[in-house]
Amino acid sequence: MTEETRIIESTWDLTAYQFKIEADALNLFVKGLKDKKILGRKCRVCGTVYVPGPTYCRKCLVDIDQVVEVSQEGRLDAFTVSLADVRGKPVENPFISCTVKLDGTDSFLMGVLEGWTDWRSVKEGMRVKVVFKDVTQGALADLSHFQLI
Amino acid sequence: MGRNVAIISVGYNGRFISKRPDINIPELIQPAVNNALSKTKLKPEHIDAYVVGNMHTFEGVNQPHLWASDHFNGSGKPVMRIATGGTTGASVYQAAYYHVASGMYDVVMAIGWEKQDEGDSQVGLMGILLPEAFSLFHFGPDTTSDRGIAGLGGGGSTGGAAFQAMSYLTRANAGIEHIDRVAALMRSNAAKNPYAHLQQPGCTEADIAGTPIISYPLRFGHTCPTSCGAIAMILVSEEKAKKFGLTDRVAWVKGLGSGTSDATTGNLIEGQITDPAEQQICKITAKKVYSMAGIKDPRKDIQVAEVYSGFSHQDLMWPERLGLFDEGMAPKMLDKGVYAIDGELPINPSGGVTSTNAIGASAMVRVGEAALQVMGLAEGGHQVQRKIENAVAHGWGGLFQFVTITVLGKTPVKK
Repeated sequence: MTEETRIIESTWDLTAYQFKIEADALNLFVKGLKDKKILGRKCRVCGTVYVPGPTYCRKCLVDIDQVVEVSQEGRLDAFTVSLADVRGKPVENPFISCTVKLDGTDSFLMGVLEGWTDWRSVKEGMRVKVVFKDVTQGALADLSHFQLI
Repeated sequence: MGRNVAIISVGYNGRFISKRPDINIPELIQPAVNNALSKTKLKPEHIDAYVVGNMHTFEGVNQPHLWASDHFNGSGKPVMRIATGGTTGASVYQAAYYHVASGMYDVVMAIGWEKQDEGDSQVGLMGILLPEAFSLFHFGPDTTSDRGIAGLGGGGSTGGAAFQAMSYLTRANAGIEHIDRVAALMRSNAAKNPYAHLQQPGCTEADIAGTPIISYPLRFGHTCPTSCGAIAMILVSEEKAKKFGLTDRVAWVKGLGSGTSDATTGNLIEGQITDPAEQQICKITAKKVYSMAGIKDPRKDIQVAEVYSGFSHQDLMWPERLGLFDEGMAPKMLDKGVYAIDGELPINPSGGVTSTNAIGASAMVRVGEAALQVMGLAEGGHQVQRKIENAVAHGWGGLFQFVTITVLGKTPVKK
């Protein structure tokens, strides 16, 4: 055995992929964000409220056509604290990614959590509210972060 | 349930390690196949059919069974490849079980492997996540700061697991120190398993706590390695087991099953509704499997468990969801010493997946290790010394939504 490893340079052309996705759920969601509203869909059969809302209920497998505006406050669910970058180097300003269950919804929304000083004091179950960017344009980035109340 | 099926032999290629640049995939598989055969009086011609599998995309090698089958003596025989992500090994084994239980074949070999130095698991995962990532980009995420998509995920599978770990810790009212403790136990168990990858004799809680945090509450010491390794098992019908004179040192398949729920993490597009630490599907599947195996009280009737835990918090979570402990009690059981090899209900005497993870093999290694415990053949000091009547093996995959469970025992279920 003379050569253990060879490095072969190559490129990965992502334009070769064509993914077809169900766009309605996020279309509705970002449309709401532009007006600083959180829009989801509610199943008429089981009452499950999804945000972002798919066009069918994942429990009942029936079409959902009922659009609902939901509360902008909710409960902090699970979270993780990013203390290092991808190379393992500690970051100066750790940040918290979290999942939030907005009041009256059944799905988890992901985002960045702010309004804390020591991450060790952050606990599941704390109350949070949605904070939008000052100028919204109908994009996922319009939802700036969740703020501890 | 069909005919009774027994596992008569479990073979490994050798110790699982990070890199095997000296060999290719067939050369990794073949020693495991030979090892499994050599523990019996069987020859390659006695094997009726093969079920094989590895994780797709992680090695960057497409359809490896097409050119590896010669090397496990598969030519001229039925060969079925199965790839179901993290549960691959268990799915391969379950399919091998069905081959025999159905009456189609009498002697079947199941092979699971992964040679992770040939590819990049993270690139493989990236391929799976591309549709989601592309669609999110279409809807204008914040890409100007680290708080965009990269920030949300927390980085690869550890990010998703970190949410599950945090949810579990809250539910169990436990802390990161419990994850450190269970991780240390697994690494020191691995030191007693000659086939394990990360062997750290006498690993302590402080050793693990000294490793950097990747995504709180998960540290580097709480994550699995990427291993190269292969496992082969031989499954036979009850008639053949008797004919071969192999009824003493075998592990009978008493119950098995798999279950699927909705994606419990990373499903941002469709509105994720299930908490990844809830694992209702694991509880439901476990109940079905126990009932098939004639197990009334898993806490009394099962003496050892091998659970699939890519991240150490899962070594606490899965035994609870499998009904071995009350919910939230695993950290207390760990502190009481129940988990240890000489404890009341040893969990992962092999060192588990956090010590050794050749992905396509891992879920089958759980079954193989459970079989070795039942047979009394676990090597290197990780054999449980208490009497083992039944063992449970578990695997998970996907976005925490697939589960496979098997109960093996010393005596077959009566037909």
